[in-house]
Amino acid sequence: MSSSHHERKPVISVKNLVKSFGGRRILNGVTLDILEGETFVIMGGSGCGKSTFLRHLIGSLRPDSGEVWMFGEDIAKADEDRMHEIRKKFGMLFQSGGLFDSMSVGDNIALPLREHTKLDDSIIRIMVRMKLELVGLSGFEDLMPSQLSGGMKKRVGLARAIALDPKIVFYDEPTAGLDPVMTGVVDKLTIDLTKQLGITSVVVTHDMNSVFRIADRIVMLHKGEVLQIGTPEEIRHAKDPIIQQFINGDPEGPISFLQRGEGYLDKLTA
Amino acid sequence: MTVKVIQRDGVNVFQVNGEINISTSPELRKSFETQPSKKIVVDLEKVSYIDSSGLATLVEILKKTKMQGGSLGLSGLSEKVRSLFEITKLDKLFSIHPTLDAAVEKVR
Repeated sequence: MSSSHHERKPVISVKNLVKSFGGRRILNGVTLDILEGETFVIMGGSGCGKSTFLRHLIGSLRPDSGEVWMFGEDIAKADEDRMHEIRKKFGMLFQSGGLFDSMSVGDNIALPLREHTKLDDSIIRIMVRMKLELVGLSGFEDLMPSQLSGGMKKRVGLARAIALDPKIVFYDEPTAGLDPVMTGVVDKLTIDLTKQLGITSVVVTHDMNSVFRIADRIVMLHKGEVLQIGTPEEIRHAKDPIIQQFINGDPEGPISFLQRGEGYLDKLTA
Repeated sequence: MTVKVIQRDGVNVFQVNGEINISTSPELRKSFETQPSKKIVVDLEKVSYIDSSGLATLVEILKKTKMQGGSLGLSGLSEKVRSLFEITKLDKLFSIHPTLDAAVEKVR
């Protein structure tokens, strides 16, 4: 884990991000920096706002107020044309892999290259083979997604996410639904790609094993607010009972999962 | 990025200057096409960064050169550029030399 992260410059700066849906405040003034070359993990329970937060970072949601600075501009204010340009500079690994079933593995990886560049197809084909090597799937370009396991699909999704040599890669629950071995494989790939290619990785996950394996720094979100930001060691030893409950997976504690009591009987008879 | 081609002992030396990326690599590819040779050295001494489209462009020209029975060498890779070759194992594919002289000597 890096001790020099304090000297690194932020590649993403989020300032006072606020978002409500239907009068319900999902993000309540989130402020944080994500530093160059680090693996930054966003964790928190269901409904804590982490997915909504991620969607602001990739520009698929606009905040009610606040700023998201990336590549020198506030993307919260970028129009759709501008956002199209900005999206070339980051990659995204979707939870399911997000592959098109009707396209071969190679064509899936080539998609962003064909969409965003004017590179010759012979160059693109070589690049696809190189990306597949990086995710440990050399020679898989002609297979169809339906012929792959869940873990392989994730890795193809990762190869596609890095197709344009992005500076930042966002991962949405990258290990969800994978067995422990494949989780380890995807975690190792995340670490290797971050360090070798100098990518900044932003990972949303609630897989605690993954969190402590891959993170340089962690933010714990709770009820749309930053509860704490720290290194894995700092988070592991956090005094906050909410964080302790979360990392230990206790059903009882300050995070309430079961909505009971008040108003229930009244509502039944209202 | 600029590409200057000079002749050394019957070898076409492509001296690349700047960053080879998705916007500039088609230009590099074009310069290989317009000045074909069976003996090629690509001097990367003044290359600060090469992305995967740049690496793919070099792979393509290596393939073409080999198919014609020619040879291609690389020289002057900075540590950073070399690491980008290593990650994709391309350091094992290319003949990489510390200096331009050494590369020309080998290729000619």
